[in-house]
Amino acid sequence: MDIYLPIAEVSVNAPLLVALGALVGFISGLFGIGGGFLMTPVLVFLGIPPAVAVASMANHVAASSMSSVIAYGRRRAVDWRMGAVLAAGGVVGGFLGVELFRWLRLRGQADLVVSVSYLVFLCVIGGLMLIESLGTILRRRRGQLPKPRRDRRPPWLYGLPFKVRFPRSRLYISVIPPLALGAFAGILTAIMGVGGGFVLVPAMVYILRMPAPMVVGTSLFQIIITTAMTGIMQAGRNQTVDVLLSILLLVGGVLGAQYGARASARLRAEELRAILALIVLVVGLRMGLGLFVQPDEPFVLMSGIGG
Amino acid sequence: MTPAVEPPAAISAALTETNVRVASDFSGAQIVLYGAVFDPSRRPADVVVIVRGPEQPVRIARKVKVGPLWLNSRPVVFHGAPGFYIAASSRPLDDIARFRVLRELGAGVDHLPIRAPAEQRIETRYGVRDVVVSRLGSDYLLWRRAVVRLKQDLGLYSEDQRGVRFVDRGLFRAEIELPARAPTGEYRADIILFQDGVPVSTRTRTLTVEKVGIERTLYVLAHERPWTYGVLSMALALAVGWGASFAFRRR
Repeated sequence: MDIYLPIAEVSVNAPLLVALGALVGFISGLFGIGGGFLMTPVLVFLGIPPAVAVASMANHVAASSMSSVIAYGRRRAVDWRMGAVLAAGGVVGGFLGVELFRWLRLRGQADLVVSVSYLVFLCVIGGLMLIESLGTILRRRRGQLPKPRRDRRPPWLYGLPFKVRFPRSRLYISVIPPLALGAFAGILTAIMGVGGGFVLVPAMVYILRMPAPMVVGTSLFQIIITTAMTGIMQAGRNQTVDVLLSILLLVGGVLGAQYGARASARLRAEELRAILALIVLVVGLRMGLGLFVQPDEPFVLMSGIGG
Repeated sequence: MTPAVEPPAAISAALTETNVRVASDFSGAQIVLYGAVFDPSRRPADVVVIVRGPEQPVRIARKVKVGPLWLNSRPVVFHGAPGFYIAASSRPLDDIARFRVLRELGAGVDHLPIRAPAEQRIETRYGVRDVVVSRLGSDYLLWRRAVVRLKQDLGLYSEDQRGVRFVDRGLFRAEIELPARAPTGEYRADIILFQDGVPVSTRTRTLTVEKVGIERTLYVLAHERPWTYGVLSMALALAVGWGASFAFRRR
């Protein structure tokens, strides 16, 4: 059953999109990531113009994160105050990122920056997470005690001004690191068409040292706000949001996200991280590979939309 | 006997459909064109049908190797490229007419009037004034061909050497396949009668490809009130996400 998308101006298979939405939604709910880094490449592969895929994905990610956040919120696993600080940074980063992306598009280098960002960020983060989570799993298998968590946080987290109390996370730190982290995720949202959860989740664990149960829900809360702003800006400035596309993805996405959030309660945290790390690594390598392989076609058409 | 007393050969043609409606089930369309050749002298005749979609500038970049990486060059903008193009003919175009004739008519993908004006400058060379020089240099043809090739890969440009079939004496038929990704807008079909390599009669027909129903409503809203559209579609998305979590809670 094919359906014609009014903004993307292509005809796509509707059940396939619903299934794709469900799969990405499940992963999103399971790991507390937006899932954009998976969705965007697949949509482009299906023939949807990249600009439309990136923009419409923002709507889908906002919605599936919304349904997951409520599920996490009921379990009291969202630090709303930390989420709000991250989101404030995210909105600023989003604005910066949109401007940066427009400038890159004019110079024809947007593809390059997208591929390099995928390669670098996904591989580095995927690799680090994989090493860390496999280490934890191995230690548990051998019956060793888990490595005691170093509660000594980096001193610069405490040395900075504007300290705020985050009772849910049991943190009393400066707002500058979360703001900067949020801004960084916002820039990635605009450039890579992702929610930025794959950066936020590890950064919240390893840099901010938030308690693990709070991380996923808080990251999703930040993602809702950042992607909602990005989605509206993309529609307003570039007219690239295809509401039909995002609704199709949503139908599957909200279902998938619910099951994902439930499944995450049954899996061990380090196993979850190991699986996520593998997915992240594979996508990063796949996206970055194109930079090193001699292309079959030496020319490339640039998307006409907004260009 | 002088041939001047006979009326000149003429061509006539009609499209079975002049309006292609793009609704949510649109997955391309097939347009049938019928026509007739009127020629009392019965000289051999060739028919060429050229269908052009609305013009869309093309941005194209070349992959260049920098160190170990393959990067995009600065993009080049080509103008004069139709969003859709097909040349259907009763025989291969090169057998019907000479290069120059085909070039003038823009018949065949190699003869499309596409050019990159931003890359051109006019200078005096070898004492000849007003020579148009492309900054792309001798690679210019490569770029041009790449535009056509990439559009062909998308199914937007094509040549059908046997696309025009004579079904009866003087009566011909051509089928034009419009892919789902063909742009909306005004299309123009030129039906040209060739005799002895010379175009002797031409008919032009127009075709409108337009979005209808919900497709049109959404498209117009997205382009005329983009911020309203953006806020509405985001609100809708968030409402679906919120509603879904409640639906799941009750179960």
